[in-house]
Amino acid sequence: MGFPHPSHPKETVVLSRHFGDPAARGFRGWVDRGGYEGLRKALTMSAEEIVAVVKESGLRGRGGAGFPTGLKWSFMPKPSGKPHFLVCNADESEPGTFKDREIIRWTPHQLIEGCAIGCLGIHAERCYIYIRGEFTEPWRILVQAVEEAYANGALGTDVFGSGRRIDVVVHRGAGAYICGEETALMNSIEGKRGNPRIKPPFPAQAGLFGMPTTINNVETLSAVPHILVRGAEWYKGLSLASPKSTGTKLFSVCGHVQRPGNYEVTMGTPMRDLIFDMCGGMRPGRTLKAVVPGGSSVPLMTADEVEDCALDYEGIAAKGSMLGSGGMIVMDDTADLVRVVWRFAKFYAHESCAQCTQCREGTAWTAKVLERILQGKGTAADLQLLQDLAEQMTGKTICVLSDSCAAPVVSAIRKFPAEFEAYLSGRREPVPA
Amino acid sequence: MSHGGHAPAAGEPVAHEPVFTGEVRAKLEALFPKYPTRQACLLPALWLVQEARGWVSEPALAEVAEVLGLTPAYVKGVVTFYTMYHTHPVGRHFIQVCTTSPCGLCGADDVLQAILAHSGCGDLGATSPDGRFTVVEVECLGACGFATPVLVDDDFVEGVTPESVPALLSRYA
Amino acid sequence: MPDPATGVTVTIDGVAVVVPPGTTILEAAKRAGVLVPHYCYHPSLPSPAVCRMCLVEVEKLPKLQPACVTTVADGQVVHVNSATAKQARQGVLEFLLINHPLDCPICDQAGECELQDYVFQEGRSGTRYAEYAKRYSPVEDFGPDILYVPNRCILCTRCVRFMSDVAQAPLLNVSERGDRAYIGIADQQRLDHPWAGNVVDLCPVGSLLSKDFLHKARAWDLDKTASVCPGCTQGCNISIDTRDEVVVRLRPRPNLDVNRHFICDHGRHDYRWLNRGDRLETPRVRRGAALEPEGWPAALDAAADLLRGATGRAVVLASGRASTEALGLARRLVDAHAVTAAIRVPLGDEAPLPAVPGLALRRERVPNLQGAELAGYRDAWDEGIAALDGAGVVLLLDVELTDAERRALGASGAPVLLLGTVDGPECHLATVALPVTNMAEEIGTYVNRDGRVQLYRAAKGAPGMAQPAWWVAGELLERLAPGVAGPATAADAFALVAQGVPALAGLSHGALGFTGRVVALEGAGATA
Repeated sequence: MGFPHPSHPKETVVLSRHFGDPAARGFRGWVDRGGYEGLRKALTMSAEEIVAVVKESGLRGRGGAGFPTGLKWSFMPKPSGKPHFLVCNADESEPGTFKDREIIRWTPHQLIEGCAIGCLGIHAERCYIYIRGEFTEPWRILVQAVEEAYANGALGTDVFGSGRRIDVVVHRGAGAYICGEETALMNSIEGKRGNPRIKPPFPAQAGLFGMPTTINNVETLSAVPHILVRGAEWYKGLSLASPKSTGTKLFSVCGHVQRPGNYEVTMGTPMRDLIFDMCGGMRPGRTLKAVVPGGSSVPLMTADEVEDCALDYEGIAAKGSMLGSGGMIVMDDTADLVRVVWRFAKFYAHESCAQCTQCREGTAWTAKVLERILQGKGTAADLQLLQDLAEQMTGKTICVLSDSCAAPVVSAIRKFPAEFEAYLSGRREPVPA
Repeated sequence: MSHGGHAPAAGEPVAHEPVFTGEVRAKLEALFPKYPTRQACLLPALWLVQEARGWVSEPALAEVAEVLGLTPAYVKGVVTFYTMYHTHPVGRHFIQVCTTSPCGLCGADDVLQAILAHSGCGDLGATSPDGRFTVVEVECLGACGFATPVLVDDDFVEGVTPESVPALLSRYA
Repeated sequence: MPDPATGVTVTIDGVAVVVPPGTTILEAAKRAGVLVPHYCYHPSLPSPAVCRMCLVEVEKLPKLQPACVTTVADGQVVHVNSATAKQARQGVLEFLLINHPLDCPICDQAGECELQDYVFQEGRSGTRYAEYAKRYSPVEDFGPDILYVPNRCILCTRCVRFMSDVAQAPLLNVSERGDRAYIGIADQQRLDHPWAGNVVDLCPVGSLLSKDFLHKARAWDLDKTASVCPGCTQGCNISIDTRDEVVVRLRPRPNLDVNRHFICDHGRHDYRWLNRGDRLETPRVRRGAALEPEGWPAALDAAADLLRGATGRAVVLASGRASTEALGLARRLVDAHAVTAAIRVPLGDEAPLPAVPGLALRRERVPNLQGAELAGYRDAWDEGIAALDGAGVVLLLDVELTDAERRALGASGAPVLLLGTVDGPECHLATVALPVTNMAEEIGTYVNRDGRVQLYRAAKGAPGMAQPAWWVAGELLERLAPGVAGPATAADAFALVAQGVPALAGLSHGALGFTGRVVALEGAGATA
């Protein structure tokens, strides 16, 4: 459930059970709540067995891509003397998303345990947790938790007396959304500009410092201890709709709802239950206009599309959008969608790393066109131009930042033409420069 | 923790006092075993500089380069990529306000205006005349459900409203 | 289907080629005669695939692929000029132009600009960015010779990669992010590196410029001639660019076995001597106290008489810039004597280009030390000067002497036959002075430190009545040994020289092509 709200009956709290409970933060508190049982069990298993359990569970990447986790772990080569690395992506910067910081600040040991099991699964002895620089409080909490884990034998050269070695290094970012992209993240750890890399080579072959590497999101790794303890079947059972989406997902709901916060639901839960029941629905007198279901990089959804949408990867895809990071932005009839996508475009323009021509220039140009429309100087040709730019910015670059800039713009123009018409026709008051 | 970096008086030549001495040097060396290359210590080393001095000056940048076996040009390319490193002195307290769309929908622009007014800064990026504050707009701070989030130095404050701004700012001397 | 171990078959725009496994689509396309437009790719730099210009359509793959980093797969069918690929390129060009200033009328790169070329070929005919201001930054002096014009920069990062990966001196960076990015240099630093000038050649647009060449000539006014750098024994291949018979610029010419795509700044900037005005332009013969101008026939006769009548030791002092042909034939002129033959080899600091093995600015700052040694000269200048004392005849081949050396020459009392380019004080000491061409005005060969015999060609005309030194020597040989015909061409001169030099046996100008041929050097003749 999401701090500061109490758990809602329609939630299924697994990862978020202890949000809001400061006693869960410490090593002792976590152990008292069943913590580190997963790691102890994993220490008795082979790497192949660990990977098999995670594969069977159907866990998919919770950072945004939804790639099957067990499959990703199985891409790692057999040990050959080269060091393997696990990297935990705690760079949470996708607008609308704020779940990983809660996991870290309330249950840092849940994450540490997940990282340790991950290391065992991929023959790695070191895990780097890359945490964005702005997460000052979660960082302090995490660093302290790592120290505690070492002091109590959960990390170090002889984990729980097993003779195995697991090290965790917390590495602080310094203000770059693009470092949430896995290859840019690796470059950032290596002391370089956060530029995404071309693939191939893939991280499992040549990743961090050129060594075989797996990168996973905070929420993904935090699910692993529970899967180890309670089993793959249990995790698969937590699914209402598609069997391809199992377990629970933390949805960060923000914007125009009564109770914004993090909500943990079984995959397949109806989206309208989340918005209208758990979050208390719209503010008094307001109606739902649009929803961004999975962070700013996914297409907008109309109120109609929300009505019968299931919260899983396939369900949201069926409605023409993506589950992504699960960062849900709810907008009611007071929202100015042109302004919303303009501010998104400004975000992407600010965060572009500058490598690819289409992204470097296209994100800034997109923001400029939208700004002119907001200032009342837009024309119908501008809408066509925005769509042309979006096409040039999609599927042509090293990473998908430029695609992410294009998606909300295109979906807004196509699904909410009235919003743009209001500015073009002069019905809506222009925004001052 | 305040990050005030003071600008030198006009025309005054500034001799660079090395940063990596004593305790700071010890912290830097504690990083070395954690990474297979010195280059990988660059982001943490820059944080040490900013912690100690409030910003990353050109001579400090050159010192980091030397200590890690990199060139100043290389380090500069990295420093200018990441927005959290200050390349010029800022007010004693550095305020970052999120105005990305989710927070924008929840009144972040009003919060920003209130902070600009009450801090005395007036403009984004400018330092207030009394040297107390510098205010900037930043991208998503990852607290969208707790709009509007504001980072003052290392204090992450959630749920700021225009009304709560004066009380917030008064906590910082 | 060919054996994968020996070759991969790929069809590019309808042309099938077989290439080694691991070849990129872009390189395979070259074999098929198809140019894939690109900016950031360069065969001598690591490929980051950032410009996105080289995106091509590959059948059965859903997304366009960057040709510069995608390796070919057997049976692949690639479309470089399909509508989809062209549309993508047009998009890249449009994005590059929105902040690019309309500087063509004042930009040095015009006429040899890859942005102009591709926009003209495939770009949109008008702008859709008219209502917005373009990004602006002032010109920066990276020094010593390099200017950076940020407004024109397309951020291909070739310059950054050259300095960090090839020169292994990361003096340039990309600073900032997004559309605010630019090429930066550290505060208080200069782009002061022996190989830095290459970034100007690498820059596809007019963003990095040479101050030396700034506003000197338009690209389309230039004549370009394949040549070899006369700066040191490395023998980098160059192009001599001339405008109206004046050398205005030297640029590297690709030779994957010698200098790849690069030349050092020393060689690049040392071309002004090729344009010297103080040239020896007429043959001169001493009559009494005065050196009087003569026509070639009479002058050659006088020179032949001088040689015929000489007795005692012959001292030959030659320039290391002289061609193998000239050195070889001049040496033959004194075959009847005991000979001390020396060349002057000024020395400087070595400056390697770390990522290219075997490539460096060499200590020996002459281009043909090896050719001279093969022709019987020694790197023993002081011995040569000492031998002037008591010499029976002195032959000078394009040398300038110090005051002390001139005094030694004057004191020797021997007759002096001078073949020279410069009308200098040496001429006053000559008995016969014959004007010869410099290396930009003739065809000839240099042999580099690895034994590579390379041909250079004439980039401009000879001043006055100057002739190639090989021709002069050939005419004299003919007069000294009737029945021996002097060579009519430089190639004939080379063949004649080769007859007497075992290392050059069987070699001819025709066999040298544009990248030269390596000959085995005997131990005694090899340079350190």
